[in-house]
Amino acid sequence: MTGTGTGVSQPILNVAGLRAGYGPIEVLHGMDFTVGLGEIVVILGANGAGKTTTMRCVSGMIEREGTVEFQGRDIASAKPDAIVRAGISQVPQGRGTFSDLSVNDNLLAGAYTLKDSYDDDLDYWYRTFPRLAERRDQKAGSLSGGEQQMLAIARAMMSKPKLLLCDEPSLGLAPIVTQELFRILGRLRDELGMSLLIVEQNAGLSLALADRAYVLETGSIVATGTGAELLVDDTIKEAYLGVVT
Amino acid sequence: MALPFKVTRGSWQHWAGRVVLFGGVGLFIFRAASQWSRSGQGLLTDALIIAIAVTGLNLITGYTGQLSLGHAAFFAIGAYVSAMLVTGKVTTPFFEENLWTPGWTLPVVAVTCFLVGCVVGIPALRLKGIYLALVTIVFVEAVRSILKYDELVNVTGGSPGIKGLSYLPPSWTGLDGRADLNKWFLYLATFFLVVASLISSGLLRSRIGRGMVATRDNETAAAVMGVHLATIKTVVFGISAAIAGVAGSLYALKLTLVEPDVPKFGLLGSVTLIVALVVGGAAQQWGPFVGAMFYVFVDDYAREVGEAPDKNFFIGWMVDSTTKINGLGGVLFGVLLILFARFVPFGAVGTMRMGRAKVVQVIPVPPTSKSTAVADGEPTTVLSAGIGNLDTSNESEPTS
Amino acid sequence: MMLAASDLSLFVERFINGLADGSIYALLALALVVIFRSTGQLNFAQGEIGTMGAFFVSTLTLTGLPVLLSILLALVLGFAVGAGIERVVVRPIELRNPSAVIVALIGVFLAMNQLTALIWGIDARSLPSLFPNEADDFVTILGAPVRIARLGTIGVLIVVLILLYLLFTKTKIGLAMRAVANNQESSNLVGIRTGFILLLGWGLSGSIAVLAAAMLAPSAGLTGSLMLGPFLLASVAAVLGGLDSPVGAVVGGLIVGLVQAFLVGYHPSIGSIELTPDLLYPVMLVILLGVLLFRPTGLFGSEKVERV
Repeated sequence: MTGTGTGVSQPILNVAGLRAGYGPIEVLHGMDFTVGLGEIVVILGANGAGKTTTMRCVSGMIEREGTVEFQGRDIASAKPDAIVRAGISQVPQGRGTFSDLSVNDNLLAGAYTLKDSYDDDLDYWYRTFPRLAERRDQKAGSLSGGEQQMLAIARAMMSKPKLLLCDEPSLGLAPIVTQELFRILGRLRDELGMSLLIVEQNAGLSLALADRAYVLETGSIVATGTGAELLVDDTIKEAYLGVVT
Repeated sequence: MALPFKVTRGSWQHWAGRVVLFGGVGLFIFRAASQWSRSGQGLLTDALIIAIAVTGLNLITGYTGQLSLGHAAFFAIGAYVSAMLVTGKVTTPFFEENLWTPGWTLPVVAVTCFLVGCVVGIPALRLKGIYLALVTIVFVEAVRSILKYDELVNVTGGSPGIKGLSYLPPSWTGLDGRADLNKWFLYLATFFLVVASLISSGLLRSRIGRGMVATRDNETAAAVMGVHLATIKTVVFGISAAIAGVAGSLYALKLTLVEPDVPKFGLLGSVTLIVALVVGGAAQQWGPFVGAMFYVFVDDYAREVGEAPDKNFFIGWMVDSTTKINGLGGVLFGVLLILFARFVPFGAVGTMRMGRAKVVQVIPVPPTSKSTAVADGEPTTVLSAGIGNLDTSNESEPTS
Repeated sequence: MMLAASDLSLFVERFINGLADGSIYALLALALVVIFRSTGQLNFAQGEIGTMGAFFVSTLTLTGLPVLLSILLALVLGFAVGAGIERVVVRPIELRNPSAVIVALIGVFLAMNQLTALIWGIDARSLPSLFPNEADDFVTILGAPVRIARLGTIGVLIVVLILLYLLFTKTKIGLAMRAVANNQESSNLVGIRTGFILLLGWGLSGSIAVLAAAMLAPSAGLTGSLMLGPFLLASVAAVLGGLDSPVGAVVGGLIVGLVQAFLVGYHPSIGSIELTPDLLYPVMLVILLGVLLFRPTGLFGSEKVERV
C-alpha cells in the first residue's frame, strides 16, 4: 500500500462489517475499509450509495453495527463529542459552517474540545488561508462556497485531529476552486502527516489525489485499489468518469 | 376465521355496526334524560356543549393542522350574541321590544361567528404554526377585553355581564316549562352535536375536506397540487368558529347569564378545548365527544375531591376536614396533555380504532364505484391523523 | 400654548413606568427568544415557571430568609424547572414527533398553572420587594416622582443584558450556545454536547422568568395568574421584535411596556373610541397584525426560506 511507505503498520482507521440505516431501512450492508496512517483514502459513490451515512458512522452521528476501530480503540458505540476528542474531525457535506457566527468564532468553535491554548493554531490557519484572515469578523454565511469550504476545513483542523473526514468537499464548487481544494487536502497529508478519508462523487480529481480508493454502490464496497489503478479501470471510467470505452 | 374480519364500506354489516354504535349512544342519552338526576343531566349537557365546540376546533386544528388557541373567543362571541339578542340590548326590527326568541338567535350566532372566523382565518394565510398560535392567544384575550369594556355596557353589559337569559322549551316538545328545563337542554345539546358532526363529516367528504388534510400534511405541496389555500383556511376557520359559537350560545342560555371574566372565555378556556381534543383524539370523528365527556366528568370529580379532600379514599388521610385543594383537575389534564403528546398522539378514539382495526377492518368499495370519500377506519389513515401533523413550523410566508 | 411643567413630569413618570413594565416583558421575551433560537419551540410554560418561582420566594421569605437570598434560591429553582422541562418533556417528544411538542408545552403550562394553586392555594399574597418600596421611597426626576423599585427593575434588566452579552460573546459556553442555536449538526461535529447546551438554555430561560416574576409581584400582587398577562404581552413583544432576535425581544418588550403606560396615562381617542387600558389587548392585536403584515418575521427577525 502506498502512503508513507513505512510498511504495514496498524491502520489508523479500521472498519469491518459496518451496518447502518435510518429506522427500518438499512443503508450500509456490511462495509469493510481501512485508512492507513498518513494516507488519503477516497470512497467513491453515486447519490444514494451511502457516502454520507458512512461518514456519519465514523463520526458517531448515527447508530451503527460492526467494527469501527480508531488507532486500535473501538469507537463503534462512542458519542460524537468523544470521537472528536479522540482525534477524528469531520468536514460535513455542504460545508456546515455556523452561518450566523463570525469566521473567527467558527474557528474558536472548532477548538471547543481543546484544553490548551490554540492561538498558534489560529495564526497558522489564517496564514494558510489568507482570505479567511481578511474576513475574520464577517459572518460565515456571507462567504463564498469556496471560502466556506476552507473555513470548514480549518475549523475541523482546529481540534488537532489525526484523521479528517471530508463529505463531498467538491459539491457545488467551481472546478478551479475544487482543484485548489484538493491541493490543500494533499498538503494536509504531506506537510502535516494527516490521514484523510474522503467520500466523493467527483472521480477524476479525487482518484488522482488518493493513495487508495474504494467504490461504494448501494451500501456495499464493490471495488478497491490504488488511486492510480482505479483511474484507469474501464468500469470506473464508464460509471463515474463518463468515458465510453 | 382469520382476524381481522373485513367489512366493506356501505355494506349492511357496516351499517349494522353503525346502528349499534349510534343506537347505543342514543339510548344512553335517552336514559340519562329520563333517569338521571338534575345535576347529572346538567353535567352531561355541559359535556355535549363542549363536544360541539371541540367538533368545531377539530376541523381547523385536527384536520387542517392549524393550531388555534382562540376558539374560546368564538364560544364567548356566540354566548354574548345570544345574550344580547334575547335581552334586547341590540336594536333589531324583528322582534317585539327587541326580545328575540332564543332559538332564532342560533342562526344569527352561526353567521356572525362564521364571518369573524373567516376574518381570523386571513392572518392564517400569512402566518404559520407558532406565529398563528400566538396571534390566536392575543385574539381571545382581545375579544374578552372588548366584551368586558365598560363603555359598551349598554350593549355587552360590561364587567358584570348580562343576566336573565332563559330558554323555555316550546310547547310542541311536550315538555313542561321549568320542570323539564334540564331535559330540554340535554336534547338541544344532543341535537346540535349531531348537526355539528354531520356538518363536519360532510365537509370532510367534500373537496374542501381533501384540501384540508392536504394542507395539514404538506402545505407547499398542497398549493402546488392546486389546493386553494386561501379558501380552505378562511372557510374552514369560519365554519369551525360558527360551530363553536353555537356551542357558546347553548352555554349562555343554559347558564342564563354571561359574564366576561370566566376562565372559559379566555386562554384557559381555549386550552381546555385543546385538552378535550387531544385526549379524545384529534382528527377523529368521535374524538370531540369522548374528549369532552372525559374532560367534564373528570373535572367535576376533581372539583368534588378538592372541596372535601378528607372524604376522598386516596388522599383523605393526608388532610384534615378544613383544607380544600384547588387545581387537581388542571394538573391532571396538563399531565395528560404531555403524556398523550408523547405516547398517544391519536387520542383515545384513535387508539381504540387502531385496536379495533385488528379485529374488524373496513375496506373501501372495489374501484368500480365512483366513491370519492376520504377514507376512514383504515389503519393507514389513522396513522396520518392525530396531532402528528400539526403545523408547528416557525416560518412566516417568505416575502416574495 | 405652553407645555406645563406638570405635563412634562407626568410624561416622565409614565415613560419610566412604561420602561419598568417593559423591562419585565423584555426579560420574559428574552427568555422566549433564547429557547426559540436554539430549538424553534415556544415555551408556553415560561410565565408559569416565573409564577412558581415567585411563590417560592414568598415561602422562603415567610420563613425569615432575606429577600435577596430567597430570590437567588428561586433562580436556582427556575433553572432546575426549565432544564427539567427540556429533558423530561421536550427532548423525548422532539425525537419522535416534533409537531406534538407544542401540545406538550401547553400541557406543562396548564399543569404548572394549576399546580401553583394546588400547592399554595388561591389566596393572594404580597411579595416583599428587592428594592425599597415604601410610600416615601422615590426620587424626583424632572419633577416626576419615580419609585425606586421601578428604577430598580430597569436596572435589573440592564444588568441581565450585560451579563447575557458577556456570556454569549466572551465565554466558551456562550459560544457553544450560539453555535447550537445556529446549527445543531455542526455543533455535534465540533464536539459540543448539544443536549447539555440545550439544557442550559432552557434552564437559563427558567431563571430569567423567575427574575421577571420576582420584579413584578411586589407591585402587582402575587396570585396564580401573576404571569398570565405578562406572558401574553411578552409573546407579543417577542413576535414584534422577531422571535429569533434577542435585540428584538428587548426592543419589543420596551415598546409594549410603553404602549401600556401611555394607554394608562393618556386615553387617546381614535374617532369616537376612547382607548383605555382595558383595551390593551385589542390595541396589541392591532399593532401585532400591523407589524406582521409588513414584516412577517418581526422587526429584527431574519427571513427564513422554507425548503420543500
